[in-house]
Amino acid sequence: MRTKARLLAGATVAAVLALPTAAHAHLVDTRLGDFYGGALHPLTELQQILPWIALAALAAFQGARRARWVIAAFPLALLAGGLAALAVPAPPYESLVGIGLVAATGLALAAAARVPLPVLVGLAAVMGLLHGFQNGQGLPASTDRLLFLAGATAIGYVVMTLATGAALAFLRGVGGWRPIALRASGSWVAAVGIMVLGLQFFAPTAS
Amino acid sequence: MTTSTSTSSLDRIRAAALTCLLLLCGVLLPTWSASSHEASMAVITLREIAPGRYLGQWTMPPVDPTLQPIFPPHCRWEPPELVCGERGLIGRLSFMGLGSKQSVATIKVLPRDAAPQVYTVSAAKPIVMAARTPGTDLAVWLDLAETYVNLGIDHILRGIDHLLFVLGLIWLTSSGWMLVRTITAFTVGHSISLAAATFGWVGVPERPLNAAIALSIVFVGVEIVKLQRGEAGLTARYPWIVAFAFGLLHGLGFATALTALGIPQATLPIALLFFNVGVEIGQLAFVMVVLTLIWAHRQARAVLPRWGVALPAYAIGSVAAFWFLSRV
Repeated sequence: MRTKARLLAGATVAAVLALPTAAHAHLVDTRLGDFYGGALHPLTELQQILPWIALAALAAFQGARRARWVIAAFPLALLAGGLAALAVPAPPYESLVGIGLVAATGLALAAAARVPLPVLVGLAAVMGLLHGFQNGQGLPASTDRLLFLAGATAIGYVVMTLATGAALAFLRGVGGWRPIALRASGSWVAAVGIMVLGLQFFAPTAS
Repeated sequence: MTTSTSTSSLDRIRAAALTCLLLLCGVLLPTWSASSHEASMAVITLREIAPGRYLGQWTMPPVDPTLQPIFPPHCRWEPPELVCGERGLIGRLSFMGLGSKQSVATIKVLPRDAAPQVYTVSAAKPIVMAARTPGTDLAVWLDLAETYVNLGIDHILRGIDHLLFVLGLIWLTSSGWMLVRTITAFTVGHSISLAAATFGWVGVPERPLNAAIALSIVFVGVEIVKLQRGEAGLTARYPWIVAFAFGLLHGLGFATALTALGIPQATLPIALLFFNVGVEIGQLAFVMVVLTLIWAHRQARAVLPRWGVALPAYAIGSVAAFWFLSRV
């Protein structure tokens, strides 16, 4: 019964993530202007926020000394990706790479993999660049792009810092179940990523 | 002049969190520097020329020319004339086109034989109810409360200079209890001057006021540098005194958002109260985010190198000095 419920929940999340318009097709209109619009934009994207939290948990598994580099690298990459989107067209397979990152981060978290620092920072940089690029794409001329990207970068820094800090504090707590709980959440993320990847190739057509 | 030889790890953690926030301020600098206090408001005044007939005029034209008022269905709006018939101007009021460029718009109604009424519509509160006797209509008062709380939140969150000052206060305080006292003193200070300015008891021209607010942030930056050099001045020992004094100054800045609306005296106290509540909500939310970030940095032991600990103070001072020069 519980397995069925998990499968159903996973499939629902996967379906939401697989929506073709999800990545960068909408703008969040807040009354507070483009900075807050940019800050809210990634939060409305499960495809972005989910791997961010998984990356933070994976970084926490590596210990504070390594995790702190992610806090610095990720927002900087997010900003660089956003700026790049203003100048260059979207790379091929951008969407697939994004979903692949969800699956890869989830798998690494589920396995509690010991990741070398350059690989961890590289993963944060690639994810930041890609998501920054997706946030910076398709902004209308009326949007203040600098403010919008600053907002997206700010929320990237805030989410990554808070999630990493919370995961580290969680792992430092008493109880052997804590790492298991984090790994289980990683398996969910991996499952979602793999399901969405599958849907990309074998999605039923409307006709 | 003494140089800091031992910097506590807490300072380095705070510095790391504050530097990240300030880097973002630096990105925002070109766009937000000049406009941090300019309210994107519009005011249309409707003067009753015959029973149920009004003449409308933009007394504060909208920034966005596509902004249009939406009146109740029984009213016919053919600019500049509004005809509402025997029922008069009662029902839903709204604006089409409210958003990031035009966040607030006000409809001021001047009836022939009654007190003026003001209805403020914002993107957060896109519909307000117009009633003939707003003084006894609870729904209208609730509308008013919601509108002005949201206006207060908007004002503090869009006012990056106020937030930067609060950031400096957080930096200067050494304990949680001290922070509570300091933030409370800032709140008391700006509440007093906000009320005084809104009721017209004091008045300061906007341009020098904004320059002085920028200068207050420069002062905080200098105080942080002095503290890091081991010179515990008045601000380090009694930050709430500085917070209260500069709170008076910042309150005058908050008041510009309210006085520009031209709210009638009858509704002014309640508007002021709820606007202030909104400002406090926004300010407390900001303080909580900063404190949580400092906690997270501590968990990750994400600290700045020793040579970078002074960066936030210099960044605060530099950003504020730039604002001061651009506002003078």
